[in-house]
This record gives sequence, C-alpha cells and structure tokens, in this order.
Amino acid sequence: MKLPLKWLKDYVDFNISNKEFATRMLLRGFEVADIIPEVKASGVYVCTIDSISQHPDAERLSVCSVDIGRRDENGEKQPITIVTNAKNIYEGCQVPVALDGAVLADGMLIKPTKMRGVLSEGMFCGGAEIGIGDVEYEGAGGDSVLILEEKHTNGEPIETALGLDDVIFDIELTPNRTDCQSIIGICREAASALGQTLKEPEIKSITGEGDASDYAKVTVENPKLCPRYLARVVTDLKIEPSPKWMQLRLKLAGIRPINNIVDITNFVLLEYGHPMHAFDLACIKDGHIVVRNAKENEIVTTLDGKEREMSPDMLLIADPEKGVGVAGVMGGLNSEITENTKVTLFESAVFLPENIRHTTRKLHHSTDSSARFTKGVEAVNAQKAIDRAIELVEMLGAGKVVGGLIDVCERQPEARTASANIERVNAILNTAFTGEDMCALLASINIPSRVDGGELVIDVPHYRTDIESGLETDADIAEEIGRLYGYDNIAPTLMNGETFHGKLGASFAFDDRIKDQLVAMGFMELYNYNFTSPQEYDQLLIPIGDEKRRTVRIRNPFGEDQSLMRTTLIGGLLRTARTNLNKKSGHTRFFEIGNVHFDNDPDLPEERRRIGLVMFASSDDFYIMKGVVEQLFKFVGAEGLRFERGGGEYLHPGQKALILIDGESVGEMGAVHPKVKRAFDISAPCFIAEIDFNKFFAHIKTDRKFKPLPKFPTVPRDLALVIDENTEAQSVIDVIAATKTDALIEGVRVFDVFYPNVPGEKGIPEGKKSMAVRFELRSDEHTLNDEEINRSVNAILKALKYKLDAVLRS
Amino acid sequence: MLEELKKIREEALKKLETVESEEDLSELNVSVLGRNGALTNILRAMSKLAPDERAALGKAANEVKQSLSAVFDEAKTSLEEKSEEQKIKAETLDVTLPGVIEIPAGRLNPLTIVYRQIRDALIGLGFTTFEGPEIEYDDYNFTKLNLPLNHPARDMQDTFYVNDRVLLRTHTSPCEARALMTLKPPFRVVIPGRCFRVDEPDASHSPIFMQMEGLVVDKNLTFADLKGTIDTFVKAVFGENVKSRLRPSYFPFTEPSAEVDISCTICGGKGCSSCKGTGWMEIMGCGMTNPHEIENCGLDPKEWKAFAFGVGVDRVACLKYGISDIRLIYEGDARFLRQL
Repeated sequence: MKLPLKWLKDYVDFNISNKEFATRMLLRGFEVADIIPEVKASGVYVCTIDSISQHPDAERLSVCSVDIGRRDENGEKQPITIVTNAKNIYEGCQVPVALDGAVLADGMLIKPTKMRGVLSEGMFCGGAEIGIGDVEYEGAGGDSVLILEEKHTNGEPIETALGLDDVIFDIELTPNRTDCQSIIGICREAASALGQTLKEPEIKSITGEGDASDYAKVTVENPKLCPRYLARVVTDLKIEPSPKWMQLRLKLAGIRPINNIVDITNFVLLEYGHPMHAFDLACIKDGHIVVRNAKENEIVTTLDGKEREMSPDMLLIADPEKGVGVAGVMGGLNSEITENTKVTLFESAVFLPENIRHTTRKLHHSTDSSARFTKGVEAVNAQKAIDRAIELVEMLGAGKVVGGLIDVCERQPEARTASANIERVNAILNTAFTGEDMCALLASINIPSRVDGGELVIDVPHYRTDIESGLETDADIAEEIGRLYGYDNIAPTLMNGETFHGKLGASFAFDDRIKDQLVAMGFMELYNYNFTSPQEYDQLLIPIGDEKRRTVRIRNPFGEDQSLMRTTLIGGLLRTARTNLNKKSGHTRFFEIGNVHFDNDPDLPEERRRIGLVMFASSDDFYIMKGVVEQLFKFVGAEGLRFERGGGEYLHPGQKALILIDGESVGEMGAVHPKVKRAFDISAPCFIAEIDFNKFFAHIKTDRKFKPLPKFPTVPRDLALVIDENTEAQSVIDVIAATKTDALIEGVRVFDVFYPNVPGEKGIPEGKKSMAVRFELRSDEHTLNDEEINRSVNAILKALKYKLDAVLRS
Repeated sequence: MLEELKKIREEALKKLETVESEEDLSELNVSVLGRNGALTNILRAMSKLAPDERAALGKAANEVKQSLSAVFDEAKTSLEEKSEEQKIKAETLDVTLPGVIEIPAGRLNPLTIVYRQIRDALIGLGFTTFEGPEIEYDDYNFTKLNLPLNHPARDMQDTFYVNDRVLLRTHTSPCEARALMTLKPPFRVVIPGRCFRVDEPDASHSPIFMQMEGLVVDKNLTFADLKGTIDTFVKAVFGENVKSRLRPSYFPFTEPSAEVDISCTICGGKGCSSCKGTGWMEIMGCGMTNPHEIENCGLDPKEWKAFAFGVGVDRVACLKYGISDIRLIYEGDARFLRQL
C-alpha cells in the first residue's frame, strides 16, 4: 500500500519525522518497508545561466557560466562552469543543474568531467533526468533541458522548488486488514498512531435528475459469486484529462492517468480501496448488464487488448449479446471509455474473493482491482465508493449525474456487534484494564464500544471484517487492545503452572550421537535438497520396479529435474562429491541425515530417515569405509553387526555389502559402480554407505548392563590356515565362534590374508590362500590348563577342516 | 700385593677420567672388576696366601672393589643422563610446523549447530522434542490451523502440492495440530523440521528450509508469558545483551499475533546497513494460538490456552554467522562448511 505523505496530511495533522512515523506504524502492525521520495533524482538544484559562450574546440558545445547561489564572504558571486550541448537554453534562464555527487533518476552518478578540454562541473537536466513528466511540471515531458517558468532561488533543491518534495510510505499490509488497502483506512490507523483524530471526509450525496433505470438494467444471475452490484449513470460526458492534482496523486500511487472518468474510478480505488469500473453505456446492448458465469471458451478482449479465454467457473460481466468484462479483473475493450463516450455506467460490485483468485490464476493475469477483490472487499464500502465517484464527477464537471442507484443485492448489509469478555481479554494479555479503558483505546481507531456488565459490546465497523462475532472475539479484541496499548508496554513474565521437565527425545539424542561421531571421524554434514530428477534413477542403475522408483511426484515443481522427492540420499551424496572434487575443496568425507519418501501408501507417502556417507579420497578403499561404519555402530552401542555380500545395483558388484544387525539388514555400503561414477562425472575412488536411521535405532540397546570383568586370565591363540581362496573371512569366524569346547572362545578376528603370487609359494597350493586368525580362550571357573587349551584348539581345527577344508599351514 | 691393589685403584680412577661413553666405562669396569679383571685376579691369587695375610688383604681388596663399584655406578648414571640430554636435544622439533592428523576435521552443518542451541534453550524451559512428517495433509498444514481452503493467507505461503489433499509442509505448524490432537495437555513441545515453499532460490530464499516451532498448552497462559519465553530464548541463542521486541502482525493460527525483532546483532541496535538503519532484525513470528485452531484440534478453547512461535533456523544461522547467501548452507561445499 502506497501512502503519499501529502495525502495523509489531508486527513491527519502530521507532526513528527517520517522515520518516527514509520516506527510508530510498525509498532501497530504496519511495517513501512520503504520511504520513497517523490523525485527520484538527488543533488539537482535550481540555477541561473548567466552567460553562454561557444566551446573553443567543439562546434556543438557551449560553455556556460552558471549561478548556483554560491557567494564568497564579500557577497561576490561564485559561478561554476557547465559545458552543454543543449540548444533551448538562453542567458538569464533558470534550469535544473545536477552537481558533483548528484544521482539522476536512472541511477547515473554525476561527476565533474572535462569536455574537449573544458571542465564541466555538472549537467543541466531535463524532466527525464529528474524523473518527472508533464503531470508534475508543464514542459518536463520534453527531451530538452527544462526551462523553469517561475522565478526560484538559485541553489534551492529542485524538488522543493517545484513542490515535488513529497514522500511515499510503502506500507506492508497483513492480509487480515483489508480495510487498510485504502488511503482512508490506513489514515485511520495513522491518526491513532499519531495521537490525532482522523478528519474523515464526508461524501456529498448527489441525487441528480432522472433515473438510472431509464438508461440501464442489471441482472445478477449468480448472486453467490456477486453478492452486490451497484451502478450509477452519468450522461453528457466531457472526456478530458483529469486535473493535475488528481493525476499527481495517481502517479504517486503508481497508476497511469488516462482520462477524467477512468481516473475517477482509480482515484476511488486508492482512496476507498474499492475497485470500480466505468462502461461506455452506448456499447452495452439495451443498457443491460448481466453478471453470469462465462460459457466454455467464451472470449473477452480486455482493455489491454489481450484475448482472454473464459470458462464456466469464471464470472463474466456481459450484456445480452457479449462479454464486456472479466468480473473483478479487467473491463472489456469493446465498452471502454473513449473520447467519444457520452454516457457511462459506473460499476461498484462485490465479488467472491476465492472466485476472483481462481480467475486470476487461471488467466495468469492480476490487476490492482483483482488484488483487492481477492483479499476481500465489502458491501457498505462498495456504496461509499460509488457515491464518492459521483461526487468527483460533479466536482470535476465531467458530466451530468443521473438520479437513482441501481442496487442488486441479495441481502442488504447489516450493522454487526461483537461481545468480548473484559476479564478474558485481560487474562489473555495479563493486563488489568477496565471496560472503560478498553472503550477509550478502541475509540482511537473509531471503533465504538460500551461496557455491559462484564462484557465489552463493540459496534463492529463494516470495514473491520477481521473482527469476529463469536469464538475468536476475545482474542480479536485482545489483539486490538494490546496493539493500541503497545505490545512493548506489556511486561514479560515467566510461565507458571505445574513443573515441566524438558526432554530430548531418544531418537533426537540418537541423531546427535551419530552426527557427533561422524564429525569426529572427519565427516562434514550436508543438508541436500529433497528434490531430484527422474534421470537420476537411471544414472544410479536402479532397476525398473525397484522400490527406489516409487517416488512421490510434486504436482507443481520448479522443473522436471526437481519434480521428484528422493527415495535415497545417494544421488545427493554423489553430487556433493562431484562439487567438492571440481572445486578442489580439499575435503573428501561427507554425510547427511535426511528423510526419503516412498509413494506406497494411498494416504500419506511413507517417510523414512536415512544416514548417508560418502568418501572419495584417492587413498580411500572399501575397508576404510567399512571401518568407519563399524566404528559408528560400535560408538552408538549396536551389537551383532555383520556384513554380507549384497547391495544395490549402483554399487560395484565385487565390493558391496549389506549391513546387518542381529540378522536384519539396516543398510548397505560399498564402492560406487564405475558406470554410476561416470554418470556423475566422478573419477576419484568413491565409497558410499546408506543406513536406515530407524532400523538402526531399533537395535540400539538403551538398557545396557555391566558384566563382571573376567576373573581368570585369557589365553590368546593365533592360527595360520590354508584355505580355499574363495572362502570368506566371515565363514571362518563363524565356524570358530560356533565350536563347542571346554573353553569360552572370544574375539575371533582375521588379521592377515595372503594370496600366493605363484602356486606353492610359502607352501600354499594352487587355489588356496593363507588366512591368519586370532582369538582368546578363557573360562569363568578356573585358569585353563595346557590340556584344556590344546583340546579346544584341536576341536576348532577339526571343525575348520570338516566344514571349510581348512588346515594349519605347515 | 697391597701395593698392587693401590696401583689398580689409582689406574682405574685415572682411566675413568678419560672415559667418555658408556661403552668405555663398561670396558673399564670389565678390565678391573670383570671375571678376568685386574682386581678379580688379585682376589683369585689370594687363596695362595697365609690366612692372616689373606684376611688383611681381602679386606683391603674388598674395600677397593666396593669403592670402585660405587665410583663406576656414579659415572654410569652421569653418562646416562648426559646421553639422554643429548638425545632430547637431538629430538628438538620446529613446533611451528603444521600438525599432522590422519583424519580430516569434520564439521556439523550450521543448521545443526543452531538447531541444537535453540532446542537446548527450550529444553531448559521445560520443552520436549516432537516431530511430524515432511509430506503432510493439507488439512493439518492449513485447514486445522484456521486456514480453510480459499483463505487469502494461503497465498502467503506458496505451496508444493502432491495432490489435492497432500502437500510438502510449508511450515512446522502442522505438527502443532498433531501435538494438540495426540498429547495430553498441559505440554510444551519444540518441533524442528524441514519445510518447503515455492521460492526460487536466491541469496535470501531457499525452497527448502528448516523451521523450529514451539508450542505451549496450559490453562492460564498469557501474552506476557509468551513475551517472557521469547526473551529467554533469544538471550540463550543470541546472547545476554540482545534485546527482543514483539510487534503486532498477523498469522491465521494466532490471535493476538506478533513478529519478533531482536536488536541488530551487527551494530547492537545503533542502526547499520544490515538492519536498514532501524537497529532491529526480524527473526520469527509468534502469538497466542487462535481459539479456532484449538477447537479444530479437539480441545476446548475456553479451558485451554496456548501459544506458539516459529523460527527459521536458516535465518538465525545467517544472522549468527554473517552468512550472506542462504544457498551456501545447502551446497555442501567444504570451503564453506569448514569455516563454521
């Protein structure tokens, strides 16, 4: 909402600085986003050209001696030199001059410049350089230097000299305050903020001769979408430009002046916030306005010359033959006011906001009018607007007003009251106002109210549609009272009530632990976007029909490449790897904990949380990534961790593993498949792990108990085995751990593997390898003796021979 | 033989003066006290002597042996110390050379750091963590929060839709509905999570961002309590010297509603380019929960009061760390992450 200061001053005594005004409005809920000067240029002053002489080296340039009002201590003129190519100037004329440091309307900065050897200390300006046109000042619309008509003081800033020193407050409105999308409405709040009374203009009601119904007729076929339609008629029109003051106001608010009738509707739009339209009544068949739903593919050409294809869900303003306007959006070209228009019909209507919003969206076209309709307008204001327009017609002598108001209205608007409980309002705010205090505060924004017992009865002004009569009334009035009293004046308190124990939920704590551990292991944390492209699933070699293809599709994405919600973190991790490799960021370990979504529930998509890791240093290998995963699981206390060959197609077939806890797969890890690396343009070694957060979390023992330390010593044993080269370490470990012996077998691990370079090397036959394993033996009852130890080792060797054909290396 | 003993002792002591290393000392030790050492040989030869002569000489020889042993030990200790000193000296390093660590330094994302600060401040005020899905029902995201279909305020939040009923949540507020419907009042919850809005990414917008919501439900809550809670929270996150201010605003789910400003973290409130000269920076919205929302979620608004606030974690992170482009948070560039 643009509020010019001079317009504000018409209604309110303004007695503070602009900045202070902005702060006061802010503290009442109206943020002044910007204070814009009327004249965009700065550093431009009035000057008199004392003398003009020919430039010594340039035929087309003149050198001028210019008085900018500067005098030395003796009162002697201190003229400056301006070099110009202007032809319309003459000695003794007054013109605007931009001096050193001036900024012109187009943003150009003025500096003293040598022009063909002569220093010019500034530049003469035309209207365009200052940012004004004929509306602001006669003659400013031309291309040449602006010759000032009246006598001004040299050195006076041009904006004050021309009376163009207004500022515009650009005020951000919250959507509830539809009443403030008007000068009157915002001035009402401003008056209260300034501690003043609003000098609300009274609209002089113009009766006029004759009756509008003799000229026009209005039929509303769909009163649900158009609850009220008001019309008045003016004859004997004199179409001409509107007066300067009106044009200036329109321009300040950003509306282009057109002619007196159109300008009146726009002026009323600004002043009262109610959109209006004027039709050339001669172009309306039988003078009959029909408000109806459009027909399928019905075309209306709007004022901007564009053809609009309508549909039955849109409201059309028509005559019996054709459409003459898109309701609430824009009038039709076929009935526009032209210089030949003699009779006009003013429309002031109320349309259903959601329908207008729907129409603007569907037509991809919104206007000042539609913006107000979509926020909501109301029926009483509609009448004020049309009355004001008629008053302006008379004031401007634009035509002859015809008597009679056409009012098609299902239900006439009625006065409304709301009742707030004084005690409850105080309870919301923690204040101790009396009912009378509250009345006084409300009165400052012209809301009449009275105390009735414990209740505050409010006569809700027609324009305050945001104040509810019902469940929300206490809260609504509390907001008004709090706002008018000042939120700053309410002292903060600490909540009382029963004692609350704040708690970090278990899964939140788990999230913390994982992140901290990964950071300790050198990983940086990512928040990758959830959006992904369909191509990414091909790049990741994910087979058709795979669960990862069950993506949730966004109906209105930024583009096809961001149209899906990810089902895996891998794509983002690989893109991060590529980015950091390309940018040579010097870091090669990243992780993310984020959600993925699967479209496998007709209700809400299934949401799963994932932990994703990526490593891509040139020295990284499968086992380093595996070590990271093992460390992570150990740190958070997961037991029963195992790895099995397996995992998604995006992983290297020979270097991928499922991560299992207690037999359940909770994730997978491995080297990225060379094809996938190519697709993602990664040439470094690259390793990925993706773990399901919730499955992982489910296996964490939160009730871990201390076990007594072993009382008797443990005996370590190493075995060097010769075994089939395809036998995996896990099977050896499993066989040893499962062997039944007198002793307890603990900590079984493989610590070396040797593949012979040539068959028979170190006594290892072809097709075999050597594997060194270590474990500890102990007993809970006594210290093991040699015999028991040997018996246990022999039992293990026997089992290894029997199950895996493994023998001790000789 | 006594003479000989004396000579051995003197020679040994003389030789000791020239000893420079532990090896020299050991050699000397062996040549005197060793199995074939000079002194040992004398002791061995003693057996041929008369008993009384033997006793006298034995005593003298033992004295020499003990005194030499002591002297040698002393010399040994001093040589060891000397050699350790030399070794330590040889081990002197240039301590200003860079450190070596095999694991590169990891980093939390600034969003996580700020999220934890806010969360922990609120836990200190008796809040408990709570969460809900990122893909939500329109009903929870809007309708239950007093934003029925066609409500103009829906335009305030451009929404990614999955279908007519399901959308990407535009704020963490749908979790308010979930909390109101599932938890037993009174309660205090803090709800972090990702949110989505149709905002083309630029320096100050990201279509994906992180929000945190606080919701308190109790019988006698007031706007003054909301102010007190916000102020405590702001001081915990931004520092004791930072002031907060509430000013009127509008959200469909709160009434009265307020926008929270904090005194500018750059200039301290004097006014600078970061705060557009006002001395204040907007950080979050809050308000007393609208009675319609409380009713929509199945509680009696006459009995239960509530207040809520929602803060953009990204925005706080940008303010706290002076991050000028919000996109950096989501780009995963180590050159950015390692600075925080």
